[in-house]
Amino acid sequence: MSRIIMRFTGVGGQGVLLAGEIFAAAKIKQGGYGVKTATYTSQVRGGPTVVDIQLSDEPILYPYANDGEVDLMLSVAQVSYDQFKKGVKDGGDIIVDPNLVTPSEEDKKRWRIYEIPVITIAKEEVGNVITQSVVALGAANTFTRAIDDDLLIETMLSKVPPKVHEANLKAYELGKKYALEALEKGPMK
Amino acid sequence: MSKREVISSGNDLAAMAAVDAGCRFFGGYPITPSSEIMHTISDLLPKVGGACMQMEDEIAGICAAIGASMSGVRAMTATSGPGISLKAENIGLAHIAEVPLVIVNVMRGGPSTGLPTRVQQGDVLQAKNPSHGDLKTIVLCPGTLEECYTETVRAFNLADRFMQPVFVLLDETLGHMHAKAELPSLQEVEEGIKLRRQFVGDPADYRPYDVPDDEPAILNPMFKGYRYHYTGLHHGPTGFPTEDAEICDRLIKRLFNKVDAHVDEIESYEEYMLDDAEYLVVAYGSASLAAREAVNRLREEGVKIGMFRPITLFPAPDKKMKELKERFGNKVFMTELNMGQYVEAFERATGMHRDEFVTLFKANGRPISPADMIAKIKDELL
Repeated sequence: MSRIIMRFTGVGGQGVLLAGEIFAAAKIKQGGYGVKTATYTSQVRGGPTVVDIQLSDEPILYPYANDGEVDLMLSVAQVSYDQFKKGVKDGGDIIVDPNLVTPSEEDKKRWRIYEIPVITIAKEEVGNVITQSVVALGAANTFTRAIDDDLLIETMLSKVPPKVHEANLKAYELGKKYALEALEKGPMK
Repeated sequence: MSKREVISSGNDLAAMAAVDAGCRFFGGYPITPSSEIMHTISDLLPKVGGACMQMEDEIAGICAAIGASMSGVRAMTATSGPGISLKAENIGLAHIAEVPLVIVNVMRGGPSTGLPTRVQQGDVLQAKNPSHGDLKTIVLCPGTLEECYTETVRAFNLADRFMQPVFVLLDETLGHMHAKAELPSLQEVEEGIKLRRQFVGDPADYRPYDVPDDEPAILNPMFKGYRYHYTGLHHGPTGFPTEDAEICDRLIKRLFNKVDAHVDEIESYEEYMLDDAEYLVVAYGSASLAAREAVNRLREEGVKIGMFRPITLFPAPDKKMKELKERFGNKVFMTELNMGQYVEAFERATGMHRDEFVTLFKANGRPISPADMIAKIKDELL
């Protein structure tokens, strides 16, 4: 693996920051380099939020993703999708929550866009909306194959309180399952 | 001594460094993007017998830290630009009374409340002259996560050495970026701790401000039997106010001399890929992260380019910058996340005007990317 760059976008309060920290920590545990950098607005909730995650076997200097170099973007809010999609490389992958983000026809030609209802999965299937970042983690890792599943799960569990371990394990597995289904179905046309 | 590998952010590393360096008091008031420093140190300090006090505002925060330092405890406050503006008056007090203190400023977009969650290096000149009157500040500016730790440790040692506040300038990018950092061992840090000098003779002979013209005051901790006076007014040998022309003249000159005469103990910078370089990049703080990547990418294309990165911003490395001018002439690209604040120091040291070399400034709360730098360098420098 040379370098994998992911970008998670949402709005303040959705908790997309945690997934980035987990990815970076797992990559570092593996002996590589991981950097997570978040950009958010001064609105406590509702402002567009973006988390850039870079994983590499070589040291990473500039902590933000360069425009046009993002391999995978996951977005759960239209405002952030619109603002940050330009970072994704042509032909790169984008995962959107179809209840919250509607990509344009032009976007569907430029990128491979997949639909995974991340928030609904967390809310209804896991039963705890906070687990959305772990649903996203499972889905993103299935797309990028950045980190060995077991290591990523172990790192994730070390960062969440024991009482929600079970819910988060379930969230990870659901993220993975939906991602596999999405990959099989193929990008939006 | 083996290094410690941690996964952390610049803010958390500054807090951890403070505690490792022996800081036992933090007084402050949380403000974005510095809040994690207070959050983390409030967890760490009680575990080592220290205390963290959230005061009613930034002014009270620095006052509490100054008070703790007067009693001999290593103390710190942390804030961002708007907080420094509020603390300004008491930064002046700590300078004239010679109270050691570490002040971390995690810079965000300004002026005023500006862009609270976004990056800027807009407080560089504020750190040079934070308060009214003549001040000689010491300003350290980490450019990596490791340095957020090591420069904070160094700040505590410099504060005790020179008996005055020392600034650590982080910014939102460094404060919040989360990655791997290799830190020196705790043993190495502890062995490097150099506490303030203390007078050990008969208390009747103690004259804390009666020191050589290039040395700081010798202030024993309060409440230990050595009596003296603290004041923001000009003062004589025992700290009591005076307007004696000669004494005032000696005092203000000594406050400058104690730093100027020992610049070699304070100065620090990095020279990156300069050995065979024909072109020079000057950058510091988080802007140097992108600059380093720009240098690496240009090197891959065969451009002989290197970077000079001041770590101690003030006192500025005048001699070194003059040397660089003699070697590179105007083949210089300087970039910073403000409208050109440190360029002033570079201009003064080199005698060049900023129009004579290439500059790239940005102060809209967004970082400058390596691609932006490369484009500018290719367009105007090469």
